[in-house]
Amino acid sequence: MRALVIDDSRTMRRIVSAALEELGFTTLQAGDGQQALDLLESGEEVDLACIDWNMPVMDGLTFVTRVRANSAWRDITLMMVTTESEHGQIVRALAAGAHEYLIKPFTPDAIRDKLDLLGLIPAEEHV
Amino acid sequence: MTAAVEHDQVYAIAEEVFSAMIDGEPGYLRPWDGELPVAAEPLVAWVDVHGELAGRAAVTTDLETAHELTRALLGMGADEPVGPEDLNDAFGEVANVVGGNVKALLPTQGSLSLPVVATVLPEVPGTSLTHELRLDWRGRSIVVVVWLFQ
Amino acid sequence: MSLTQDTFAFVADVVRRRSAIQLETGKEYLVESRLLPIARDAGHPGVDAYIREVRAAQREADLTQIVDALTTNETSWFRDNTPFSALRTHIVPALRAERPVLDTLRVWSAACSTGQEPYSLAMTLSDVLGPGARFDITATDLSERVLAQARSGRYSQLEVNRGLPAPMMVRYFTRNGHDWQIAEELRRTITFQQHNLLDLPPHGPFDIVFLRNVLIYFDLETKRSILSRVHRVLRPGGFLVLGAAETTIGVDHDWERVPVDRGSVYRPVQAGAVPSPRPAPSTLAGVVPGTTPAPFAPATRPGLARPVTASTTTTTFPPTRTRPTGSAFEQGVTR
Repeated sequence: MRALVIDDSRTMRRIVSAALEELGFTTLQAGDGQQALDLLESGEEVDLACIDWNMPVMDGLTFVTRVRANSAWRDITLMMVTTESEHGQIVRALAAGAHEYLIKPFTPDAIRDKLDLLGLIPAEEHV
Repeated sequence: MTAAVEHDQVYAIAEEVFSAMIDGEPGYLRPWDGELPVAAEPLVAWVDVHGELAGRAAVTTDLETAHELTRALLGMGADEPVGPEDLNDAFGEVANVVGGNVKALLPTQGSLSLPVVATVLPEVPGTSLTHELRLDWRGRSIVVVVWLFQ
Repeated sequence: MSLTQDTFAFVADVVRRRSAIQLETGKEYLVESRLLPIARDAGHPGVDAYIREVRAAQREADLTQIVDALTTNETSWFRDNTPFSALRTHIVPALRAERPVLDTLRVWSAACSTGQEPYSLAMTLSDVLGPGARFDITATDLSERVLAQARSGRYSQLEVNRGLPAPMMVRYFTRNGHDWQIAEELRRTITFQQHNLLDLPPHGPFDIVFLRNVLIYFDLETKRSILSRVHRVLRPGGFLVLGAAETTIGVDHDWERVPVDRGSVYRPVQAGAVPSPRPAPSTLAGVVPGTTPAPFAPATRPGLARPVTASTTTTTFPPTRTRPTGSAFEQGVTR
């Protein structure tokens, strides 16, 4: 499994990537939505994208909308990982096409739980 | 943001940020007892909330504590040197996560600025301090402040 | 501020014996931070003074409070996921197929801790049964403390972050300050009550029993007696769901294992259909011949052992009896 971790904070990219790698993912990183789109357009294939909301250049919600508009990327699972935590913001992200939503702060276990819901935990990782 | 944001809620946010992302378990953050020490090298990180209700959420501490926070967030060893880029990014992210959660307490929808890290918090005319939360993290002082813009 | 070695050793010993959690050297700061609010509430300036009083007074309630404060009890929504998909894809369809009218579905969520399991069941059943669905859930735990939170339906943001699907979150939760409040429509489908698994079961019959990650803490004889009590309150054709690492196989023969998805569920075999190694029904409620007092908990909890024979002389279902919290194995703590 490959995951694209999109966050303008390198600290957060490292934390999310480490949690995913622990679960057997290989990770790619991008510092904003545009960089992430560029990676996908260059042919990088990923199963999952973890997406911050507030970023310079292109925010996470715009990225989600752009990915959902391209049928070539319809198999990518999109999970927001953001400090935006109003009920209405979660509704907006789901309406734009995000599959899951994780609020910062989170524990590595919380990432694992979400991926389990999404069917993205490899069988050998199951206890 | 005075009426909208309660002291206990800001404390709950700080506790969650520390227990989930910095310490890995709850119990290392408590209210600071007594007078705050004067920081030799102060450091502050903040985010602004824009919208009908606007304000600022900031985290202030001293440089050494900010180094410790950075090491904890990045899973670095106790004596590993912390570079300025990691410091700015990690400490700024603490303010970002605190600020984003404070924003969600507001009755109106607002947007969040990207975090800024500096040695002093610049004064904004016409602001009023609404909360000052003094915290003790492993014997070190950290203060979370929430300001209201008028 | 710092803790004496003596205080730390006492606290670590209490916690280890009651929760099997080991507080290693280096956790002194953690112990002090978590116990300081309790010490101050009790009128002491610090934790050392408080622990001195605890040791002198020897009150059960103090020890329970200490263990509660030091054992984090994180439970996920839709924990392990598989049992909830089994409910959707297998259990409810099977019950529907076998009954001409699927009237009120009754579910027992045993050792429900802070309520994530029964609420996850309620969300799943609302979904799968559709509008006008009628079901009720009896959710039990030994600890009044965890039940109080479960009843309130109020969860911290870290708690709602654990395994709650985002579509369920926006549908059933509203913000309450920094916390999240679960919808009343779910809350009213659940009755929370205090219950010890070694006592008579709650009033059945049930169509579905969730008893997950509890049996692993008991020895074979106790497992067997718990399963036999569950058997008695499960309707013929009903379903028992255990934890991923648990099974009835080799424990109790009155169950048929049904593989579902990545796991298994169990259905009761009618009494008499299979030769039963279980004792006669009149002694089922906790007494296993040859073991007096019946083993209550793992060997790491010798202080908690208590004969389970005390309350089992009646064959009718009494109303729920209350017992002092913490006088027995805290189901919530070790999950």
